Amino acid sequence: MKKRLVLFLALMLTLVTGVSALTTTTASAASDNSLAKVQKKGTLVMGTSPDYPPYEFQATVHGKTKIVGMDVAVGQKIAKDLGVKLVVKSMSFDSLLVALQTGKVDMVISGMNPTPARRKNVDFTHTYYQGGYSIVINKSDKGIYKDKDSFVGKTIGAQTGSTMYNESKKQTSGTTVKGMTSVSDLILALQSHKIQGVAMEKPSAQAYVANNKELAAIPSHFDLSASDTSASAAFAKGSTSLVKAANKSVDQIKKQDLVNKDYLPAAGKYLKTNTVNTSMLHYWKAFLTGVEYTLIITVCSVFFGFILGVLLSLARMARGGVFKTALRWLATAYVEFIRGTPMMVQVMFVYFGLGLIVNLPALTSGIIAISLNSGAYIAEYIRGGINSVDDGQTEAARSLGMSSGATMRYVVLPQALKNIWPSLGNEFITLIKDSSIVSIIGVSELIFQSNIVRSDTYRGVAPIAVIMVIYFVLTFTASRLLNYFERRMQHD
Amino acid sequence: MTKPIIEVKNLAKHFGDNQVLKDITEQVNPGQVIVVIGPSGGGKSTFLRCLNLLEHPSSGEVDFAGEDLTTLDDKRVNELREQMGMVFQGFNLFPNMTVLENIKLAPMKVKHVDDATATKQAHELLKQVNLDDHADAFPTSLSGGQAQRVAIARALAMDPKVMLFDEPTSALDPEMVGEVLNVMQELAKQGMTMVVVTHEMGFAKSVADRVWFMADGYIQENNTPDEFFSNPQTDRAKDFLSKILM
Ligand SMILES: Nc1ncnc2c1ncn2[C@@H]1O[C@H](COP(=O)(O)OP(=O)(O)OP(=O)(O)O)[C@@H](O)[C@H]1O
Ligand SMILES: [Mg+2]
Repeated sequence: MKKRLVLFLALMLTLVTGVSALTTTTASAASDNSLAKVQKKGTLVMGTSPDYPPYEFQATVHGKTKIVGMDVAVGQKIAKDLGVKLVVKSMSFDSLLVALQTGKVDMVISGMNPTPARRKNVDFTHTYYQGGYSIVINKSDKGIYKDKDSFVGKTIGAQTGSTMYNESKKQTSGTTVKGMTSVSDLILALQSHKIQGVAMEKPSAQAYVANNKELAAIPSHFDLSASDTSASAAFAKGSTSLVKAANKSVDQIKKQDLVNKDYLPAAGKYLKTNTVNTSMLHYWKAFLTGVEYTLIITVCSVFFGFILGVLLSLARMARGGVFKTALRWLATAYVEFIRGTPMMVQVMFVYFGLGLIVNLPALTSGIIAISLNSGAYIAEYIRGGINSVDDGQTEAARSLGMSSGATMRYVVLPQALKNIWPSLGNEFITLIKDSSIVSIIGVSELIFQSNIVRSDTYRGVAPIAVIMVIYFVLTFTASRLLNYFERRMQHD
Repeated sequence: MTKPIIEVKNLAKHFGDNQVLKDITEQVNPGQVIVVIGPSGGGKSTFLRCLNLLEHPSSGEVDFAGEDLTTLDDKRVNELREQMGMVFQGFNLFPNMTVLENIKLAPMKVKHVDDATATKQAHELLKQVNLDDHADAFPTSLSGGQAQRVAIARALAMDPKVMLFDEPTSALDPEMVGEVLNVMQELAKQGMTMVVVTHEMGFAKSVADRVWFMADGYIQENNTPDEFFSNPQTDRAKDFLSKILM
């Protein structure tokens, strides 16, 4: 099962849990109305990370991209049995549990393994699927490797932080275990003979083998307890009534073996349609969506960041009075703090942290976080720009009777902006690239879209090459445009 | 007796330990042209800037039309500043605006004059300083003499009662000094009250009503130009004059 645990994510989780424990658990433990709430809403929001076929992945159905897979089928069954509509929300695997705890989603089904650590934070249903591990190898090596023990002196790859990764380390000797974040990357490494095998879940292995003639699967023979290879649906802690209702569906799925009989074959069909045409051109819509979102985020963030930057820079230059001094200190502290923390953490904090108070969509959260971040940097550019305007300009304006506000607005700022235009342009171009960070909260910008195309098509490099070109075209066009405007301003 | 338009009482100004203005008490009557002269670093600029509160006095009073500027709030100070035009050594034109826009800015943003009226007035002022053909030029394309004349027109656009000049010709090439002094002389003839810091002794002799000699933080002498130049009283003034008239 996937169990990637980036350190700060764990921290984030603890933090959010801590805060939410203070604010919400008391209420939900006392009276569990989780089931009633979902039924009243009429929708069950399922969070999933659609880069893990055949569990969940994106497929193009009648020209529209859709999240499909056996987990979605499980979710649909649960929703149907509850008499509500299923809404699927995609986000990175790392963000799923936090999203659950902060109420962004009602349920998480994402090939998730109910480990004791996770059980501390969320409630799980019964197991709906019992998996196992295979090792994928190159077909040409078929005679050489039999199971995990045949890789002495060789290298096995596995997803970093996953159960497979840990078990491969524990249960082999003389074998190097190489970790990578995505399965697509691992397959790529396998095909270029950097590694000799990839440990992954059986259904995934089957999907890869079915879609790539060069590959073959062998049993792993890892010694594992059942709970290490099982998948369950997760709900917020304390939603007993909801879990109980979902368990009814899960038990039915188990009893009738729906996963193997219906869900996996159906997922396989989608995979086939996906991989019939793996040319990048076929996925132009996915990339276009990526470009759209990347540009929306960048343009909005620069716009709001600029406004915030102007306000912050003015606040940082306020002099006199207790109020103004306090304002100055606040603005300075803000700028220092933002510049001293990673944008990724800020994005997570806005989405999940603010999410405790107001439920903001991922795109809005992303724009807010990046604007807040960008504002701090732009404030410093503007401050520099204002300081670069000769004092004589201010004196001339003041001597004409203009107030300090009017002087700033009509005389100093226009000149300051002209001076810092190149820096602002650079900030814009940087943001085109850095906006990719919001992919972690599931905004479908370029990086997020390329990861989806990668897992959908089983092609590791082509989508990366495509977005590299797209990014370059975007930044190059932007810098040409900015240069053009800069030259026009110089003529004045 | 006419009432003085500017009255300075016991004005003092220091920057840290540097006591630039020590104790100045003088007055300017409407229509008077005062020329302030004195050695470099003697505090002439500081004094002029205290008159419109660009520099806040450390102590003393600066009365303009009967109101003590040092006690007023920002809003009222801004209102009174409108009535005191100032012309700087370095012109300080707004480089991002045309000549016309430079002149129109303050009337439109401060007095809320409409665009048509402001434009008309700006053209009239530009004619007065012989630059109407440069209305649409940007300041960087002007010579120093032209720029300073635009700066004078810009200050006049607020219809001031007093004009303050801080070495308006010091940054100019010699052949351009005349055109600026002519404009100032013309202004004086029309009855404008003026306080002029300058090293142009010819201008002082022919235009000034009074010469204030300033050194060491005091106005050392206050006299008519004829008296001051032919018969300076203090050693400080004698020394100064001997140096510049050599
Ligand atoms: N903002 C300031 N901060 C500190 N010291 C200042 C400031 N402005 C002026 N001074 C000091 O005050 C003194 C008088 O300066 P001021 O410019 O008024 O003299 P000035 O008579 O106009 O000289 P100049 O003929 O060179 O223009 C100088 O010693 C100068 O260094
Ligand atoms: Mg000076």
